[in-house]
Amino acid sequence: MSTALRVLGVSFLNARPLVEPLRSDPPLGESGAPLFEVGEALPSACAAALAAGDCDVALVPVATLLDNPQWEVVPDVAIACRGAVQTVVVVAQRPLAALSRIHLDGASRSSALLLRVLLASQGLTPELVVAPHGEGASRVRADEGALVIGDAAFGLTGRFPHVVDLGAQWFHDTGMPMVFALWAARPGALQPEHTRALQQAKLRGRTRIEAYAADYAQARRARGELALPEADYARYLRHAIRYDLDAWEREGLAEYLTRARAVLGAAAEPEDDDVVHVHFADLGYAPLRRRSSGRALSLSQTLDKARAGERLELAEGLLLYDEADLLELGAAADARRAALHPDGVVTYIIDRNVNYTNVCTARCKFCNFYVPPSGKAHDQGAYVLSRETLTQKFRETEALGGIQILLQGGLNPALRLSWYEDLFRWTKTNFRLALHALSPTEIIHLAHLEQLDIREVLLRLRAAGMDSLPGGGAELLHDEIRNRISPFKNTTDEWLEVMRQAHAIGMRTTCTMVFGFQERGDHILTHLDRLRALQDESLAREGGGAFTAFITWPFQAEGTRLKLRDDTSAWRYLRIQALARLYLDNVPNLQVSWPTLGPEVGEVALRFGANDFGSVMIEENVVSQAGAHFMLTAADIEHHIRQAGFVPARRTMRYERLA
Amino acid sequence: MTPTRARLAEIETKLDDGTPLSFDDGVWLYRTPDLCTLGALANRVRERKHGERTYFNVNFHINATNVCHADCKFCSFARLQPGMPQAYTMSLDDIRQKLVERRGQHVTEIHIVNGLHPELPWSYFKDTLRVLKAERPEIHLKAYTAVEIHDFARRYDMTYEQVLRELIDAGLGSMPGGGAEIFAERARRKLCRDKATAEQWLEVHRTAHRLGLRSNCTMLYGTVETLEERVDHMLRLRALQAETGGFQTFIPLSYHPEGNDLGKLPAPTGVDDLRTYAVARLMLDNIEHIKAYWVMLGVKTAQIALGFGADDIDGTVQEEKVYHMAGAETPQVLGRFELVRLIREAGRHAVERDTLYRVLWEDDGAPLPEIRVGASVPYSSGATPRGHLPLAGAEAQP
Repeated sequence: MSTALRVLGVSFLNARPLVEPLRSDPPLGESGAPLFEVGEALPSACAAALAAGDCDVALVPVATLLDNPQWEVVPDVAIACRGAVQTVVVVAQRPLAALSRIHLDGASRSSALLLRVLLASQGLTPELVVAPHGEGASRVRADEGALVIGDAAFGLTGRFPHVVDLGAQWFHDTGMPMVFALWAARPGALQPEHTRALQQAKLRGRTRIEAYAADYAQARRARGELALPEADYARYLRHAIRYDLDAWEREGLAEYLTRARAVLGAAAEPEDDDVVHVHFADLGYAPLRRRSSGRALSLSQTLDKARAGERLELAEGLLLYDEADLLELGAAADARRAALHPDGVVTYIIDRNVNYTNVCTARCKFCNFYVPPSGKAHDQGAYVLSRETLTQKFRETEALGGIQILLQGGLNPALRLSWYEDLFRWTKTNFRLALHALSPTEIIHLAHLEQLDIREVLLRLRAAGMDSLPGGGAELLHDEIRNRISPFKNTTDEWLEVMRQAHAIGMRTTCTMVFGFQERGDHILTHLDRLRALQDESLAREGGGAFTAFITWPFQAEGTRLKLRDDTSAWRYLRIQALARLYLDNVPNLQVSWPTLGPEVGEVALRFGANDFGSVMIEENVVSQAGAHFMLTAADIEHHIRQAGFVPARRTMRYERLA
Repeated sequence: MTPTRARLAEIETKLDDGTPLSFDDGVWLYRTPDLCTLGALANRVRERKHGERTYFNVNFHINATNVCHADCKFCSFARLQPGMPQAYTMSLDDIRQKLVERRGQHVTEIHIVNGLHPELPWSYFKDTLRVLKAERPEIHLKAYTAVEIHDFARRYDMTYEQVLRELIDAGLGSMPGGGAEIFAERARRKLCRDKATAEQWLEVHRTAHRLGLRSNCTMLYGTVETLEERVDHMLRLRALQAETGGFQTFIPLSYHPEGNDLGKLPAPTGVDDLRTYAVARLMLDNIEHIKAYWVMLGVKTAQIALGFGADDIDGTVQEEKVYHMAGAETPQVLGRFELVRLIREAGRHAVERDTLYRVLWEDDGAPLPEIRVGASVPYSSGATPRGHLPLAGAEAQP
């Protein structure tokens, strides 16, 4: 890449930590030439320039993504706030509800849309008129207000009796952060080196906040303008503004885009039903190479090593994935299964999958179970299971000999930690059921919602009755895939961190992998490798917290928004499961996924490394929505286990056998 | 070397030398718990014969009548009398209509099997072939199981040879392999005491082969038979094949417990399916093809069977639109591209054949048209129920 990309930053103070490092310390490409040529403009002008092709990359208001879904967004960088932002405010002489007209700021469509979204949620309909940037406040008459954005808002403190901070108002309405701006690029412009340079600039910029604040204050004073104390500007940059795009920011982003789109109406209707999406730029993960310390690997030696239970290197795992014959993999996995579980017993559990709510902020494209937390779909189909319904489900479970509830649901902002605590205590008081509850994704959501550490959330839930943590929400633990299929959901590191914390407090958990998202072999191996590394870490600790089992299954595409076609065949399932048995040498149990593959394949899978048949199927909403409809009783399961040549036994989540 | 290893090595040597496996070998293979090793053995034989080639054909089925006087315990249509509510018999015009409605469509074979109707005239069965030939003379007619041929001979007082010669004159191209069930007399008495015996079934095929017809052969498993009786069944087929060479394909058919007198038997299982395919491939060294009939097995197990000795995945392939019309609940036809895709996903090379295994098309690896996710029901959803087509003795078997 010889020519530098033309970058447009925003001239506001809050953009400096993202933009200044590109100027003060210009990132260079591999060839030694600068990667960027940096200019500045107001936010709306940035988006217009990007749309017109006058620049390649720009810091754009997020609402412009609705019209430009093709833009590629730099992952992990944002200008956002969790609560009050200070620099997006409505100032007025009267309360918001009493205003007949609000002057908008021509510089930012995003903030204007945010105001419309907030007005709509309160049923307010003042006239909205666009004023040039910075002039709105001076036009305010008796029953009027002005939307003031950017640095101009600092000077207004104390000048109006009524100031509505839109960041705070959004947080009040939704319980979520507000994302204002993102780095976006025209498709194909960003090479991975650019994307990484923009991410690194943020990291550098954040260390120089005090300097930017001082420069800014001095420059204002030099121009004879009023300035706040430098410390106030620094506090604003450090605390009001957030530059990361964490899972919670992504939840807020999805919610904002959804509501903004609804406010814009049919005019902004995208052609397909992929209503809300962010297209993240590729970070250029280098595909793993199949070599090991420089020597060529031999397939037969690697298979022998695997069969003998020796630890496989990443490169060896990849070799097996790419080249090993299905039946050779299966035979090796069967040998490992026999070594780990020499008594010829295959276990199963009787539990029930209960999805307590279908409301979810994450909008994963591979899911057709959720309804968003607002809008028409929500109004028509949202549910939170009542205690009556739960009582019935739990009683039925007990009547069928069930010992556990697998309790999972969407990321429902209306349900606070105390709701879960009450539910768990109530369950423990009234039923003799173990709670295998809440995936890491839900734990992350709760931690954000309550502003608590992951550990604190886990401790409180355990104190309330949670016994173990299921491994849902992992899908493919590789951000290259996650960014494509679930841009608003937690990252790989965030998921693994919950498991690390759970293991650290002595909790047993399971782990999963869903394939069929057009991933490569190295994505799958990376997933397995990260699980194995975490398990090593957990097993080295005293206290017993660790993964008890691994379960993999193919993506069930029917009815989801993910329009991709990949190999989700039974053949590939058996290969991947066998490989997992060989690679995950420190995870004791492997469960077949008969609900997605059918009991016949489930039975066959017992000869491809698995030693557990999972559970009877009393209910499994999420997968059955996408087309899996098998039902089995305990007698059926035992039949299939025997057919595969094993002795059936019931177990607990901890894989303790029941008499 | 463990006894197991030693026995395996002995069997491997036989396979390498081309020595047919013994009855004891077959039973031992059936009993080995090491499914993957069994499969790998069968796969070696399969690849020696066919490499990666995996055959399918483009056909459709006609069951002109489901009326049947036989009393087969495993069949949902047993003893269905004319006039009963679910009984039907197509007119010759209905039969012609099956082709008229497919005008312009690529079809290379029609597979015709019927119930044993007590009243239809002999001409009906010949005219069935004639009207189809008149409409599309190029389509191969694979018609009437040995059980039907035996019934014609008895009812219309002819020899097997006379029956077959008249049918050949009317357009018969080859014979399906249904009605064999399980040869062992003990099991046959329990299952289907009033239809063609094992010897009669074999004699019909012997005659057909002598007249130059090719045919298929089947085995119904998962009912009351023992593993020994399954191996015995395979050996009887192997013996006739050694004599005539007329069998093209062996098709194991798993029993489905829905809607018949044997309902209390457990459903067949994936492991039993796969080991049956593997043992068949190993025992039937003189029969060229082993077919995984996906409609019976379910698409997923059929695909895996391609690694356990099967080299053919049957047809019932039709145009995509028909396939979509078939709906999500009971996919009875699989789109051509879906079929090619699942063969590719098993690392195999798809070949479209005609009835006599002449190659009509070979997979060139070109990208397949994308089918909208959500419409591609049969194997992305896992919802393929086993046995949605009634396994009627003389009705739906290949």
